[in-house]
Order: sequence, then C-alpha cells, then structure tokens
Amino acid sequence: MTTKKPKECYFCVNNLDVDYKDTRTLRRFINFYMKILPGARTGVCSWHQRKLATAIKRSRVMALLSATHK
Amino acid sequence: MSKTKTSGTTHYEILFIIPNRFTDDEAKKLADQIKKILTDNQATISFSEYWGKKRLAYEIKHNAFGYYGLFEFDLEGAYLAKINKELRLFPDVLRHQIVVKKVKTEQKLARDKKIRAKIESKKAIIEKELEEKEKASSSSSAVKKKTDKRVDLKDLDEKLEGILNTQNLI
Repeated sequence: MTTKKPKECYFCVNNLDVDYKDTRTLRRFINFYMKILPGARTGVCSWHQRKLATAIKRSRVMALLSATHK
Repeated sequence: MSKTKTSGTTHYEILFIIPNRFTDDEAKKLADQIKKILTDNQATISFSEYWGKKRLAYEIKHNAFGYYGLFEFDLEGAYLAKINKELRLFPDVLRHQIVVKKVKTEQKLARDKKIRAKIESKKAIIEKELEEKEKASSSSSAVKKKTDKRVDLKDLDEKLEGILNTQNLI
C-alpha cells in the first residue's frame, strides 16, 4: 500500500528555517518510534530534508527529543 | 536583540544544560559563570536566553530535569576549541552544544518579509473561499436547529431562576 504524499515542502511553503530547538515542528517529521521519517513520507524538499535530519539529531543530543519511544 | 556580524568572526549559538541539583537562582548564577567563560575567551555575546527548568527527554547521569540556557555570540574560530574544552571540564554543566548560526542580511530579511506577506494574503483568500462554501452548503434546516437550541436555553434559565427564588424564600 502506498502512502499519500504531501505535495509541498512545509519549510519552503511557509518560508521557515529548520531549528533544532523547535521540537514541536520537528515532531511532525518523526514517527511513533522517534525515527526520522524519509523525505518521501514527509514531502519536504531534499535540501530541507537534509537540514531536518541534522536538526533532529542535534535536539536528540541536547535531550530535547529522545532517540527511542520509551 | 542585535545579531550583527563583525568581520573575521563567526556567529555561534550555545545551548547548555545545568543539572537538577541546583536551585533556580543557583542555576542563573552558573549561567553567568558560563557567560564569563565565553567573554574571557573574547566572545561578544549578542543574545541570551534562560529557559528555566525543563524535563529532559531521557535521563543524563540520573538527572530527569535540567535548567536550559542559551547564548548567541560572535567569535574567532581559533578560540572555539578552548571554550569547548573549558566547558567540558566545567563540573556543573551536564551537556553543551555549540552550533554555527547563519546571520541573515538586511536584504534577506526584507525578502523574507515580502514572502511572508504574500503567504498571509494567500491564506486569507483561501479562508474566504472556505467561508463562502460553508455559507452556500449550510441549509436552512441547520439554522433553524440553532435557533431552537437558543430558545431552550432561555427557558431553562427562567426555570432555574424560579427554582432558586423559591428556595431563597424558604
């Protein structure tokens, strides 16, 4: 079963920067197991998807997000 | 909140966690100490923020809570390693992270403003369309139901008032 893909990049459309401290928006791009979702699922453009991945990893280091769902 | 860039330096951002064993005032003092470490190493601080006590996403050295603090500063790259080393040896910091932060030029800020205005105008148009659609789709029966409910509420209020008055008399 294919998942429905959002057409637009969230960060391009809303003219936002990816910030590792803004966990509320980062949550949108993480699944239940706290894994980073692929670009195909999130619909984020590849440029922003790369920034997203580093931002999520940075917030994990600073204990703003956990790496597991427990 | 000036975020200007002086020549030859880079704009950095540091986020640090102070362990839970301190009180809020002590944590603030420790944040000042960290500020001193930065300024002693020729950093010019342009922005500071104290988040206060927050729950950590996972325990660090048996600490479930921590005090977060944030500084933005300009620094020559050569001093960064020294600051990192000093903070790593600083006993009252659980964890810290220094990140390069991009400085937006005035031109870019102006462009951002324009784009944001455009986005807002688009959103307003979409909302208007939605409202019109709702008005068109809402049938007369729905309106009648709403008015009926209001009448019921009024009746209830009157009844309640009547009951209350009688109780007061007794």
